[in-house]
Amino acid sequence: MSQKSGKKIILVLVFMLVTVLGGAQLYRHRHYQVPLVAGPGVTRVARLSDYLPSLKDTFFDTNVYFLEGSGEGGTALLMGGTHSNEVAGVLAASVFVENAIMDAGTLIVIPNFNNSGGRNTRPGDGYPLYYNIETAWGEKVFRMGNRDASPLDQWPDPDVYIHYPTRQTLSYADIRNTNRTWPGRMDGTGSERLTFAAMELMRVENVDIAFDLHGAETMYPVTNCIVAPSSAMRIATMASLTVTAMEGFEFHVEPSPEGFRGLSHREIGDHSSVMPFLLEAPIPFLDQPTGPKTEELLLSGYDPFLLSLAGKQMLFVPYDETGWSIENRVGQHTSVVLEVINQFGISNKERRIGIRGVPQLADVLENGVGYYFADPGTVSEGRVYYQ
Amino acid sequence: MSLIMLLYYIITACIAVTAVWNFIKSDGDFDELAQYLVVCVPLVLRLLRIK
Repeated sequence: MSQKSGKKIILVLVFMLVTVLGGAQLYRHRHYQVPLVAGPGVTRVARLSDYLPSLKDTFFDTNVYFLEGSGEGGTALLMGGTHSNEVAGVLAASVFVENAIMDAGTLIVIPNFNNSGGRNTRPGDGYPLYYNIETAWGEKVFRMGNRDASPLDQWPDPDVYIHYPTRQTLSYADIRNTNRTWPGRMDGTGSERLTFAAMELMRVENVDIAFDLHGAETMYPVTNCIVAPSSAMRIATMASLTVTAMEGFEFHVEPSPEGFRGLSHREIGDHSSVMPFLLEAPIPFLDQPTGPKTEELLLSGYDPFLLSLAGKQMLFVPYDETGWSIENRVGQHTSVVLEVINQFGISNKERRIGIRGVPQLADVLENGVGYYFADPGTVSEGRVYYQ
Repeated sequence: MSLIMLLYYIITACIAVTAVWNFIKSDGDFDELAQYLVVCVPLVLRLLRIK
């Protein structure tokens, strides 16, 4: 065997090793199933493809949990995981599924709205593939997703994304961003069909209010806030004032801009009678000037570079050595959702939504997020669903 | 799978085959050979629908 051939064989072996090892991790991540226990309030579980059959057997299809109370009342929709790297939304929605009990009305929860994005990752930014939440029974493993749907499920991207139906031009990558494709269309891309199916769900189930749970950088002004259109502004403002007065944390209100299309807080209200609320919790992990994008940073929210920038007044949220923990972010989401639902009931007594069993910020800070997840191994198999 | 998506996969396969063919035929040094294979990694992962 010549020296040249030997060199090539060694290189091919290295190539195969790298491809198999790297590919196996990515394959496992895309197909990893996170168990979620249907709590005592869950009365049925559907699929989003029930509202748009063309989603069936695609990675855009996702679980829809129904929590129906015995009393009459309105209906709320709660979506997490529109951006799957903004993990507090996924966790908060999952806490509702496992813990909420309805006294009146109906709560519909979609914890992993962009299921394709939840199976995507960002190796170029060194994203961890998973994160672990500590519980009394061990660590619960969640997939760390990406902002956009996977190119394996929707490709190619155009040079310029033209939003339907307004024809506003947006960044090419936003065609896979399910917070730029509202209200969607029946025969569009996967992302457009996903948001169209959600609009159909809201129409068929007579939804009154919808929540879209997100996270935003601490250096971005639209963070730690509720974004709402004018139709929902009064309720958003009352909820913001109440959580500040009663629970002691700031969560300001931002008006939904009329000229920026495709976002849930804009299009849901413009294309239906549903009142939309988009919640943004600070997520230091997404800020650019941080150290490595580790699981520790994702969960603790502490980064020394951000702390330095906080001293220079460059952040839009309070920031100190305690960071911005996942407990803080999840607890703020649950508290604000509960307060908006409460305020909606005050304004619409016949459509009041009675809900209990969900922890507020102080509870999550005291007990941790994992406290609110049941061990899938100790409940009957029929109550465990996979995301 | 849409027609355009199918065409992209065909283009990906063509580039991967070309890189492998160049690797086989190359008399180049270690760096050149390694670069052909590095180029192939994302192409192969895409063709296998892994990434």
